[in-house]
Amino acid sequence: MTQQARPVAGTPLSRVDGRLKVTGRAAYAAEQDAHAAVRGEVHGVIVTSTVGKGRITGIDTAQAAAQPGVLAVISHLNAPKLPYRPYRGEVDPARGERLRVFQDDRVRFFGQPVAVAVAETLEAAQHAASLVQVTYAAERPATGLDAPAGPPNQSENYQRGNADQALQQAHTRLARTYRLTRENHHPMEMHATIARWDGDRLTVWDKSQFVRTVRGELAAVFGIPAESVHVISPFVGGAFGSGLRAWPHVAVAALAARQVRRPVKVMLTRKQMFTGTGFRPLTEYKLTLGADERGRVTAAVHDIRAETSTYEDYREALLTQGQMTYTTPNVRQSYRSIPLDVSTPTWMRGPGAATAAFPIECAMDELAYELGIDPIELRLRNEPERDPGTGVPFSTRRLRECFRIGARTVGWDERAPQPRSKREGHWLIGTGVAVATYHTARAPAQALARVEADGRATVQCATSDMGPGTYTSMTQIAADALGLPAGRVRFELGDSAMPLAPPHGGSMTMASVGSAVQDTCDKLRKQAIALAVADPASPLHGAPAGDVVVRDGRLHLRDEPGRDESYRDLLARGKDGRLEARGGYTPGDEAERYSMHAYGAVFAQVAVDERLGMARVRRLLGVYDAGRIINPKLAHSQAIGGLVGGIGMALLEHTVTDPRDGRIANPNLADYLVPTNADVPDVNAIYLDGDDRKADPIGVKGLAEVVIVGVAPAIANAIFHATGRRVRDLPITIEALL
Amino acid sequence: MYPFAYTKPADTAAALAAGARGGRYIAGGTTLVDLMRETVERPGTLVDISGLPLDDVRDTARGLRIGALARMADVAAHPQVRSAYPVLVQSLELAASAQLRNMATIGGNILQRTRCTYFRDVSAACNKRRPGSGCAALDGYNRSHAILGASDACVATHPSDLTVALAALDAKVRLLGPDGEREVALTEFLLQPGNTPEREHDLRPGELITAVEIPPHPKPLRSGYLKVRDRQSYEFALTSVAVVLHLTGGVIRRARVAAGGVGTVPWRLNAVERRLTGERPSQRLWEQAAEVAAEGARPLRHNAFKAELLKRTVERQLRTVGGTR
Repeated sequence: MTQQARPVAGTPLSRVDGRLKVTGRAAYAAEQDAHAAVRGEVHGVIVTSTVGKGRITGIDTAQAAAQPGVLAVISHLNAPKLPYRPYRGEVDPARGERLRVFQDDRVRFFGQPVAVAVAETLEAAQHAASLVQVTYAAERPATGLDAPAGPPNQSENYQRGNADQALQQAHTRLARTYRLTRENHHPMEMHATIARWDGDRLTVWDKSQFVRTVRGELAAVFGIPAESVHVISPFVGGAFGSGLRAWPHVAVAALAARQVRRPVKVMLTRKQMFTGTGFRPLTEYKLTLGADERGRVTAAVHDIRAETSTYEDYREALLTQGQMTYTTPNVRQSYRSIPLDVSTPTWMRGPGAATAAFPIECAMDELAYELGIDPIELRLRNEPERDPGTGVPFSTRRLRECFRIGARTVGWDERAPQPRSKREGHWLIGTGVAVATYHTARAPAQALARVEADGRATVQCATSDMGPGTYTSMTQIAADALGLPAGRVRFELGDSAMPLAPPHGGSMTMASVGSAVQDTCDKLRKQAIALAVADPASPLHGAPAGDVVVRDGRLHLRDEPGRDESYRDLLARGKDGRLEARGGYTPGDEAERYSMHAYGAVFAQVAVDERLGMARVRRLLGVYDAGRIINPKLAHSQAIGGLVGGIGMALLEHTVTDPRDGRIANPNLADYLVPTNADVPDVNAIYLDGDDRKADPIGVKGLAEVVIVGVAPAIANAIFHATGRRVRDLPITIEALL
Repeated sequence: MYPFAYTKPADTAAALAAGARGGRYIAGGTTLVDLMRETVERPGTLVDISGLPLDDVRDTARGLRIGALARMADVAAHPQVRSAYPVLVQSLELAASAQLRNMATIGGNILQRTRCTYFRDVSAACNKRRPGSGCAALDGYNRSHAILGASDACVATHPSDLTVALAALDAKVRLLGPDGEREVALTEFLLQPGNTPEREHDLRPGELITAVEIPPHPKPLRSGYLKVRDRQSYEFALTSVAVVLHLTGGVIRRARVAAGGVGTVPWRLNAVERRLTGERPSQRLWEQAAEVAAEGARPLRHNAFKAELLKRTVERQLRTVGGTR
């Protein structure tokens, strides 16, 4: 319950860590050597495999080791055998075993760490790494879905009704294949780890969205108790999912530090980010729709194949969209992961949903044109009243409102339905739409809150802030619950010694950690009130606790504001001089009783140069039903980032693998393209007012993922409307539009 | 990065002496430092020429002289360049990023090395980097590679936008070396790969580019540069076209057309120029001329679209610069 006359939650508070960030004083993982505890560190530079599959036949380190300042060159030839106890964090694939660093001679993918050069300076380590000569017995790797490294993994299936029969009877049938290329996250900040051993205790300064899994994994790798590992990650310069798992370089840093008995810093190069920190997997999605003459989809068959590595079976929630977006009584789905000689894919913004939305929302658009029905109208005709997969009601689902507001804002009704009907000079202009959904995930979280004698509060949780503004939004929640101005609340995160948090991903941080912070601060406030009303020296002595509220750092009677005292005065009389509370949040059975998702309607206006094939987004608008918005300024920044990421997915991003040896053929940001400012002229987002109290105590549904979902199909649909050309492979390039 | 020595000579004579001893010249460093980090370039000594007085832009009897050390951003902003040669200004402003244009020099731009990812990856076969090792791009991922001027030894494009404009302006490169000064036409200075892709230019040991000269062009002159790419800024060209036309009495008296992104060197489209010369501008003429733009093109697996894209780019830019009256 908010205590403030004017709650700070819901207001556009600027980032509380903004000044630190723009003045360069926020220390990111690789900058933690400014920290006194890390002085004396040395540098590790990883040597990666230059074949895509095979065995290492020799490693000549003589030249490298002879360089001035070089302390060690570590590879499977001289690394200790590490325990690698079984460990599977929430973010790790359900099947398979993680890559074990320097434990054998096998090469599983191009770019695999095969050695690390450790030296006094970064320059010496880099040079030494370039001098390590590795020879291989190489084989041709499997890098394409049609020529896998082994049999497909077991398929994941879903069925309702009888899709095959319904297809037979359908008025209109449409069978299409869509292909999504591999994408890398490429946050601005490179992944980096500094590791330091003190006897058997390991401290790691890491770039991480999930310090708890880094701790668990390192404990397993080295066979030490989790309590002996301390992971610190106060600032993350973007991650988009790449920081959820502990990747091999984290173990490399810890291993190297143990070998040279000095703190070791390892920072990946941009090139190493392509194979070292996961990616959105290459996916082929075959979709067959059957519909009646009024556009009601009666049957859908989804046949999906996506890449994974040979050593782990990575899967994402690719089936959800096909089950709950439209009424469709008859659905059959099959999803197989295909083992390839590649590194393991991982969660990337909007995992599963952003991928599945492309085929589904493009196919709905194709169906709309086929039947001559407006694309929005077609979707509304298939809008379910309850979750068609589970039969349970939606906690909230306001997609109709999203469409109505979006259509009005972009002037959808003035849009001529025929492709190629709008032209400006040599530009063909089209408008497209798509639905975005992302399930509302919540997970157990705990927090610790303290009010000190000076009347300031500190709240802690081992969560992360990879960019959404966790520091700020949690400060807002805490300030309101404690009845303190935001400026007197400090939220701390990114430390494995702090209370438990779920992974900072899957759009669950606000709901989970936010609810935990609220609960904890509610407890602390009540504790303070209980103390005051029981204290004969307090002006509030004897008052019913339920009549006391806290505002602006002062406890007072609701109906008699003059009878009050401050946290500071209250604590000055206590023996500890401080108050502390622990609290948390554990989701109940809401997810069984309700279908909970964030929704959006995405509108894109795209201009395509008729002769030169260049597609340029002119306008993007997302209208979101994401529950309560804690901070509209942060939410907007979140939404703009997601929408821009969607432009990249639609038109630019493409990790190219050379099938001959598994080499990444565009391993830099000049060849792996992301949108520039010039590519994002008019991008905007609107949020429906309201909340979702069925989902979690603070009424949020999560925003980070849903804002990238549906962007690529909206753009593809706009390109069709502009040109009459349907492109089913991402990214949509110039050559596809010539 | 391999260790290297660094010197900063006080004058041109000292620079030439250091160059004659085998030093590598460095100016803005936007290509060289990048490639040193990738260990593609491993110079023993860097000779920093950025302090030499070679950055002026001025009119001379032989035409407009642009000092080799003039920065891209400064040349693009130069009033004389802006009024006389829009094609040059556009080629500069559409290149790289503002930050790079503030550092990179005109001489360095001409000498910039290819973006071929196999060239930039020391673990891949590349005849340009290691003669005789093969060309990984020929049967590899070659979307950005050349369809014109390539050989079995090398299919890498010359990445510069500026040199495409310079080629269309008949620019000459002024060189100074141990044996004195000389001048070479830009289109002859940059070499097609043939069997020796490691030889990228006609620069003799120790020689320094001192300036680029654009000879006087007949007036009135119309010119412009068009760059086609996947995103709106900060990307090398898939195709680009520089058009320079001299029209009097409604007739094209002289035409210069050059293309980028498609050739191993900036590519003069002589056949297009011949079609244009002596003709009156019309949509039909532009189409006919563009039709021969990709003559001799040898497409690879991923870049076959460039032949058609080149024709369309030429047609569009002829229309933009030449109009249709």
